[in-house]
Amino acid sequence: MSSEDREARRPTRPAAQAFEGGGVLGRSLRFLGGIEDFVLVLLLAVMIGLAGWQIIARNLLDTAVIWGDPLLRVLVLWVGFFGAVAASRDDRQINVDVVTRVAEEPWRSRIRVLTDLFTAAVSGFLAWHAVRFVRDAEAFGETAFGSVPLWLTAIVLPLAFGLLCFRYLLLAGFHLRRSINPETGG
Amino acid sequence: MILTGLLLIALALLGAPLFAVIAAGAVLAFGRADIDQIAVVMEVYRIAETPVLLAIPLFTFAGFILGESRAPSRLVRLSDALLGWMPGGLAVIALVTCALFTAFTGASGVTIVAMGALLYPALKDAGYRENFSLGLVTTSGSLGLLFAPSLPLILYGIVAEVSVDRLFIAGILPGSLMVLALGLWSFREGRFLQRAAAEPQAFSMGEAWAAVRAAAWEIPLPFIVLGGVYTGFFAVSEAAAVTVVYVLVVEVLIYREITLTRLPAVMRESMVLVGGILVILGASLASTNAMIDAQVPARLFEFVTAHVSSKLTFLILLNLFLLVLGTMLDVFSALVIVVPLLLPLAAGYGIEPIHLGMIFLANMQIGYCTPPVGMNLFIASYRFDKPVVALYRATLPWLLILFACVLLITYWPWLSLALVQ
Repeated sequence: MSSEDREARRPTRPAAQAFEGGGVLGRSLRFLGGIEDFVLVLLLAVMIGLAGWQIIARNLLDTAVIWGDPLLRVLVLWVGFFGAVAASRDDRQINVDVVTRVAEEPWRSRIRVLTDLFTAAVSGFLAWHAVRFVRDAEAFGETAFGSVPLWLTAIVLPLAFGLLCFRYLLLAGFHLRRSINPETGG
Repeated sequence: MILTGLLLIALALLGAPLFAVIAAGAVLAFGRADIDQIAVVMEVYRIAETPVLLAIPLFTFAGFILGESRAPSRLVRLSDALLGWMPGGLAVIALVTCALFTAFTGASGVTIVAMGALLYPALKDAGYRENFSLGLVTTSGSLGLLFAPSLPLILYGIVAEVSVDRLFIAGILPGSLMVLALGLWSFREGRFLQRAAAEPQAFSMGEAWAAVRAAAWEIPLPFIVLGGVYTGFFAVSEAAAVTVVYVLVVEVLIYREITLTRLPAVMRESMVLVGGILVILGASLASTNAMIDAQVPARLFEFVTAHVSSKLTFLILLNLFLLVLGTMLDVFSALVIVVPLLLPLAAGYGIEPIHLGMIFLANMQIGYCTPPVGMNLFIASYRFDKPVVALYRATLPWLLILFACVLLITYWPWLSLALVQ
């Protein structure tokens, strides 16, 4: 598939990336995005390697890494949530886009400010409870599997919800600027 | 409670990400029941405790690699060499290849982008009518939803707690019915076309052999996945792992159509889709639990059984409801939100969970192509540079045929259950 086709699958220019722009803020945002992508790709690579190894080990060598399967399940959670953070950066979370598709500027941006702030609030709220979840897990010394502590495997939740909150605050800021001045970005 | 519900629906309609809407619903419901909202996070963490889920990122990534490589053109060439001789052959090829491809890429729009780009010009060159060709490539984007290892099929298994292996088998007959029905329609169009202009090409043994050789590495793929799962040799997530490793070796190391430097971008791209789905699934695990706590399914059951007496009436209402739902929500969100509510209802009317899954997905497949939010329509509109309204018209006959299939699938449970019983 050519890069042209890839663009076809992505009808709108990712607003969050358009917002990144230049300057110190833009550079730090791109740096953060780079880290997120790196972690996401690394997690998926480990997942594929481990899943493949488990099958070889089980069928050919008659052994299997005991912690392999629970670790794979945790990796699904991590990949999923880092994927969700990436989706927010591209502004491609799954949604019903009837209204935003037909609405004209500046109303489209005004609506987006509302929904972005709502999403940021929900994500922030969940991030806070995820912090509590992780703290409790640590305080009670719960384990996820083997001797791996639960707080370690669950730490992706406060991290990802926190990043989601941050991304939607950025999006809200971007759409707020555009609702005032339609010339801005995107 | 009704007010907050309406507010959330309004936010969803205004375009708020569905995961946030669903999570907010769960947060509010837990709050109302005086349950610590940490429960929402605990439910989300259950993603890490569901073994089959591993299949979703693995199959999705494998599908994206296939879409990115030249596998689609090899697949088209192969089917052309094998089926090109018959009237309407090219259209039938388009259907079959799209169905296969969608099964592997999970109806994420990749089919229209990757296959449509090859098939649409080819169909037009062969003299098929514009509307016929457009309708075909648009509706075919979700054809194959019922074939293993499609993502919605796996997700239904997880949400409904039905064995995914059995769903893979159950989907064969209903899925084939759809391909067959649309194939007959294409056949008819082909005869009509033959009289007008183009002549069917003769079958060539040489070309068939060359096409088989070109796709030699990809031909075993469906057999590895389906054979492995159907014979019980692999669990579903193991089949996914084998598929992704196999596809990586074939496309990156043997065909060398995707460079190692290109790979991270494909990984990220595919995980954006997976992330979008999993975060909704996580939120809905919480909201489902909150709904069960508030006895919503039980009350819904009481209400419906009080008003709907026969199984037939229930099925008719179910079809109508799912068709409307499919026009509003994408298949993944619809699955995780609605299936937990429908399961006890369907059980009350004696409908098997597997049959319900087939009904659900078949309806959703039509939803992909119905206004106002049918995803296929927008992707096709963008890809082929046609106004969405033109696509409404072009897809109409195809949708009517699919609708007839949905009715058959709904009222003839044998179709979904024959192979699993």
